Amino acid sequence: MAVLTSERLDALREERLQRLRAHRASGRKVIGWIAGFTPVEVIRAAGAEPVRLLRGGYQAEARGDRYLRSDACPLCLSSMGAFDIDPLYRLVDAVAAVNTCDMLRRLPESIHRHFGLPVYQLYMPRTSEALPHRVAEFRRQLEWFAGELAAFTGNEVGPKTLAGGIREANRVRGALRGLDELCKGDNPVLSGTDILDAVAFATTLDPEHAVSLIGGIHEMASSVEPTPGSRPRLMLGGSEVAEQDRWLVETIETKADIVTDMLDTGTSWYEEDCPEDGEPMDALARFYFARTGMMRRPNDRAYERARGLVKENRVKAVVWKTLLYCDPWNFEAVRLREEVGVPVLHIDGNYSSENREQLRTRVEAFLENL
Amino acid sequence: MSTKTWQDPKPARVTYDDWARLFEDVPDELLDRYHYYREDQERSGGLKPWSAYMFPPQTFAVYGARHLKRLKFDNSLAALRMWGFVQNETERLYRARQVGRRVVATMGDLGAVPVIVNSFPGATAFYPDCIWWMPFVMESNVLFDAAAGLGIGDATCFSRAALGAFDKHAYFPEPDLVVASTGASCDDYSGVEQLAGRFAAEMLWVESPCRRERLGCHACGEDLAETVDSGTPYEPESLAFLVTEYERVKETMERLTGHRTSEEELRAGVRKANRVRRLTRRVRELAYRDGALPSLEAMVVEFGNLHHYADIDEWPEVLEHLVETCEERGRKGETVVDRDALRLVWVTPPADPLFLNYLEDQGARVVGTEYVIGQALELLDEDRPPLEAVAESFMAASLTGSTRQRTEAAIRQAREHDADGVIISGILGGSHCAMESRLIARYVKAELDLPVLEFDVPPPAKEISRQIRTRIDAFLEVLRGRR
Repeated sequence: MAVLTSERLDALREERLQRLRAHRASGRKVIGWIAGFTPVEVIRAAGAEPVRLLRGGYQAEARGDRYLRSDACPLCLSSMGAFDIDPLYRLVDAVAAVNTCDMLRRLPESIHRHFGLPVYQLYMPRTSEALPHRVAEFRRQLEWFAGELAAFTGNEVGPKTLAGGIREANRVRGALRGLDELCKGDNPVLSGTDILDAVAFATTLDPEHAVSLIGGIHEMASSVEPTPGSRPRLMLGGSEVAEQDRWLVETIETKADIVTDMLDTGTSWYEEDCPEDGEPMDALARFYFARTGMMRRPNDRAYERARGLVKENRVKAVVWKTLLYCDPWNFEAVRLREEVGVPVLHIDGNYSSENREQLRTRVEAFLENL
Repeated sequence: MSTKTWQDPKPARVTYDDWARLFEDVPDELLDRYHYYREDQERSGGLKPWSAYMFPPQTFAVYGARHLKRLKFDNSLAALRMWGFVQNETERLYRARQVGRRVVATMGDLGAVPVIVNSFPGATAFYPDCIWWMPFVMESNVLFDAAAGLGIGDATCFSRAALGAFDKHAYFPEPDLVVASTGASCDDYSGVEQLAGRFAAEMLWVESPCRRERLGCHACGEDLAETVDSGTPYEPESLAFLVTEYERVKETMERLTGHRTSEEELRAGVRKANRVRRLTRRVRELAYRDGALPSLEAMVVEFGNLHHYADIDEWPEVLEHLVETCEERGRKGETVVDRDALRLVWVTPPADPLFLNYLEDQGARVVGTEYVIGQALELLDEDRPPLEAVAESFMAASLTGSTRQRTEAAIRQAREHDADGVIISGILGGSHCAMESRLIARYVKAELDLPVLEFDVPPPAKEISRQIRTRIDAFLEVLRGRR
């Protein structure tokens, strides 16, 4: 069951827009960010409001065809389209992105050329071996980013403000981990849908409101009695899951429980805190560099993590949901089957609703076979 | 080209069968003159030469290169030599292993790392990436099917053929080392590299840094350096970073070969690579400016800058031969393509070589290219420390920067050669194609007001699909109308 009703979600979305309008009215910049490796801490340290741009949706995707070829990944297409039609995107003053993949590396240029927004493209080494010169290079990127934001917002990013940004982001991450705990036991009272919703709002609201919202969800969930019976425990993984992918998560959860995930839009974002001791910029560079993902090279650590999550959460099967043309996640589906030791259902698609019934049948057939 | 025993016929593009007839007249003395791995051949003493490569296209068609039957070739001896050398590469790589060379697969960076690898005595670098032509040349999906079995399906760049080739163990020997470059590169090939790792005895990952451009930000563009050759702007810190990455390549090669390399050896490697790059530059000039060589052969020459078709010593000799041939044509006022043909700049290499033939058949010619290998065309700065020179040339890489920067190369050539139009060939699902093609077209139209044709190269087939032929024909009609 979903703790947040659709009416409540709509109200929260409207509230989110109002808050952002208020921020802008007060002279505070709103920075849209793309990809989970974006250091929101720096944005906040610069006195700007970070907003994750991850709405998805077919209408935006179709609109994105005006700017990109239709074989761009649906996330890129929908992001472009959303700058035309989504009120959240239209509130953004600038965009920050990290090159978690080649398409996302290139997306900012299209945003800039077509919508005239300043874009900040951070280069994160794609190689995962944390050699000193690579971490140092990422730190240099962060310093450049901080300097850019300082010039854009008029607020200096110093160790103190950066430490504050880290603390605030950690607070939100900690609250999300608290929710995650409710998924650990048998018959979890919190669904994958709830986690998806919570992360979506946690990355678009200011920390105070995000923590308050998460606390509310936690409270509501804690008061719910677990449903008796046993359902398969699943892990959801793959490309970024957008707000408008909620239907898929709901479909899966009609017959199974999503108890953990391997998503940039899920546990990957909040499973660990950035260390608060030591020099903040250095800590931040190390923290983000150390994160795993299928797009890092080599990506063996991502597989270690996948196996760990499966074991730790007693996962019976994996649903691997990828976006069309999303190479970093799509290419790994075959190897994943070899590595995790549980059945894997690979779903590859865009944001179109046309094939939903077909997907529903595939999901149901998969779950029945578990 | 004229030798004591051979006089090139009047320049023309000839068919596979024409070449069979021409080949009968080529004296054996000439055929015996050309060998790969000359040093190894000489070391083998009185053994019958095993390293000949001068064969007609038929020889390679018999072994599966079916497409050759449908292509048109330049009819010079130099071009025949070039085709023989290029088609012989698989044999050459296996021979490299037999004669005790260290075979190093370099992947992803298209032109830089082989300069370092080839500086080591007895080391041979090659690019599995270049297997991407193979499905087209063979008119076969075998390699794509093998890649699909490992996780990389249809909607991806044709470079996935490289993964299929690793899986088949028949296109190159098992490399002693794989140097895989990734970073600011395409997703498709980064994925190929990752999955190819399972076949690698040893894999070294190298980070290719991004070349940032000012996009509405404040400090981008400040304190930039420029490459000495093309003047491409880059952040000096990126160069230092890449040098550190290349140090790792050097150290790994030293361990692999047991040879501690010297600065002078690396410098010699840089000079050798530069010799090839200078010759290639001359061939491009003679082909694209003067029409002395067809665009298909010119493309094969351009890609020779990547790894010299696995023989750094013989490839420049092949190029010298081509240059002499083209210059002689120039002296005689001869061309192989019509100088007045419609002039086109081609962006992103067409995986199917038939396209370049078709364009010339329809009264057009290529006068400029942006084949995603800008880094391999860049001359290396011989005054710099060698690893720095290699890193600096890579700062001009086609795909590590912005689309605007990449388009500038095409725009510059279009201006220089008074192009009539620009063709952007793409690949369905190719990450940079999907993101770049529209922008490139937009930039070209805005700057030059030239018509642009975009199309995706379809999977391997015996001929170009009617739909694409019609689109090309219509495009050329538009260009004619504008003249």
